[in-house]
Amino acid sequence: MGETSTMNLPAASDNSSQPFSNRLYQMTQRHRHWFFIAPALIILLLVVIYPIIFSTGVSLFRVTFASQSRPFVGLQNFERMLGNDDFIQSALNTLYYVFFSVSGSFIIGFGVALLIRRVTAGKELLRLILIIPITMAPIVVGLMWNWMLDPLFGLVNWFLGLLGIPGQTMLAQASTARLTVVLVDIWQWYPLVFLIIEAGMATLPRAPFESARLEGVSSWMIFRRLTLPMLRPVILVALLLRTVDAFRTFDLVRVMTDGGPALTTETLSLYLYRTAFTFNKLSRAAAGSILMLLCIGLISALMFRYLYRDVEVG
Amino acid sequence: MRVPRSERILAYVILIVMAILVLVPVLAGSVTAFKPQIIWVSSPPTWIFEPTLENFEFVFFTRKGWLFLRNSLIISIGSVVIALILGVPAAYAFARFRFRSSKALMQWLISLRMIPPIVVGLPFYAMFLYLERGLGVGLRDTFPGLIITYQTFLLPLVIWMMRGYFAELPAAMEESAMVEGYTRLGALWRVVLPVVWPGIVATAILNFIFAWNEFFLALILAGNRTSTLPMSAGTYIVRTRVEWGNLFSVNLIIMVPVIVLTIILRRQLVKGLTFGILE
Repeated sequence: MGETSTMNLPAASDNSSQPFSNRLYQMTQRHRHWFFIAPALIILLLVVIYPIIFSTGVSLFRVTFASQSRPFVGLQNFERMLGNDDFIQSALNTLYYVFFSVSGSFIIGFGVALLIRRVTAGKELLRLILIIPITMAPIVVGLMWNWMLDPLFGLVNWFLGLLGIPGQTMLAQASTARLTVVLVDIWQWYPLVFLIIEAGMATLPRAPFESARLEGVSSWMIFRRLTLPMLRPVILVALLLRTVDAFRTFDLVRVMTDGGPALTTETLSLYLYRTAFTFNKLSRAAAGSILMLLCIGLISALMFRYLYRDVEVG
Repeated sequence: MRVPRSERILAYVILIVMAILVLVPVLAGSVTAFKPQIIWVSSPPTWIFEPTLENFEFVFFTRKGWLFLRNSLIISIGSVVIALILGVPAAYAFARFRFRSSKALMQWLISLRMIPPIVVGLPFYAMFLYLERGLGVGLRDTFPGLIITYQTFLLPLVIWMMRGYFAELPAAMEESAMVEGYTRLGALWRVVLPVVWPGIVATAILNFIFAWNEFFLALILAGNRTSTLPMSAGTYIVRTRVEWGNLFSVNLIIMVPVIVLTIILRRQLVKGLTFGILE
């Protein structure tokens, strides 16, 4: 009886009838959230955390699909990966890809978000058309642009031909392939930045802007001193999402260039896929994917810290 | 917002150019799906022609496109249903109950959004292989296998989106129902779910789009029996030439349902695409 009262809960008043079931009831009440969360949590541990642990394990052995023996090799796979020119090349390609795709889609998306506020009639229709690319499967986007960019019959070259520019093989040349793929990626994803920034701007309070305008502050200064700082958390979310998506790009490059010509468009995902499934070096690919995970984890943790400084997430 | 006339005209001009840059490739490509084979690759492009459905017939029946469509539907709908069954109760708990680890767990869920698919795809392939060899449990190239793996990106999104919808409802709703004798689960089922229904539909649609467009995990883990529509698109690229008309028919079959769903969903789109981080 004394035990129940030490629980110090209002429901545990002076009932001497069923102390044990009462305590059980209180315990389940206190931990009731786990009944709701546990199923989802168990599945997530199984499909995300366990594979990562498994992969880390695989990276410490030499595992291939063909052979049954799996000798322990310690960090050898990591050393091999970091000493591999193709791995370094694909990491640099990925950095290039992330930098230009994120900054390009950010600038265009932000610009479109600013412009669409100045529009009245047809706003809904314009918005709807502009967001079509994000809803398309990246593989469909890639195939469509392959067709657009074809040197013989593609619309892009037909158009350039009207301007007197001879047919270009943008995807087959090492000098242009990388930029072309990045441009297509920007074409697909600037609408995401646009949507996020537009949603963010809709939540800004009106008062500071109106008083600034009354005081005759120039619109550039309003943008720099009011809009940008107030949008900071929204901007960070847009940059964070674009960065992680660009970092893991696979589908688009796979159908447009498949890493070529001469590995100039080989991204990390593509390289690791090839290492595992074409060259049958599962352990090395696992080591590479763990390195990739650490890398993106670090980048997003930094951006997240920055984000948390001024906004309460969740 | 009052905008000078010249500024508005400039905004219209730029935005219309951007819209054209979206529409031209999408429409010109889609039109090819209705072209007879001899003008698939004509240059300059042929704009006036007798539209035909022979590409669709070829893709759908001769090349068994209906099977890929069926597989895509089974996998997408199946994985969304599972994600909702697991995710909705969890989202409810995150929205309603105060507990110590709730914030950390929600942040952990966001962090799952950052994981590149190759990081889970690789071990999944190996795990499925070992399960098959060791225990005789075949998950590779099966619907359950793909539906389980799709939870890696669907489940966190369902929880985040639904938590937002639950948080919008007043807690008094189910409290008064509980006073009237409902249990917590009964109140959730009878009182809360009917009200939060539109949110569930929006969550389901957005997750369906992600599952429908998914390519990477299917490439690694699906096979002849479970190949999806995005994978079938690749079969029309032969080393020397591409069957453009057929390819664009497949592209249209992939694209049209998603565009229709997007139009239905457009108000809720940002919430899902940003993982609800912005709330």
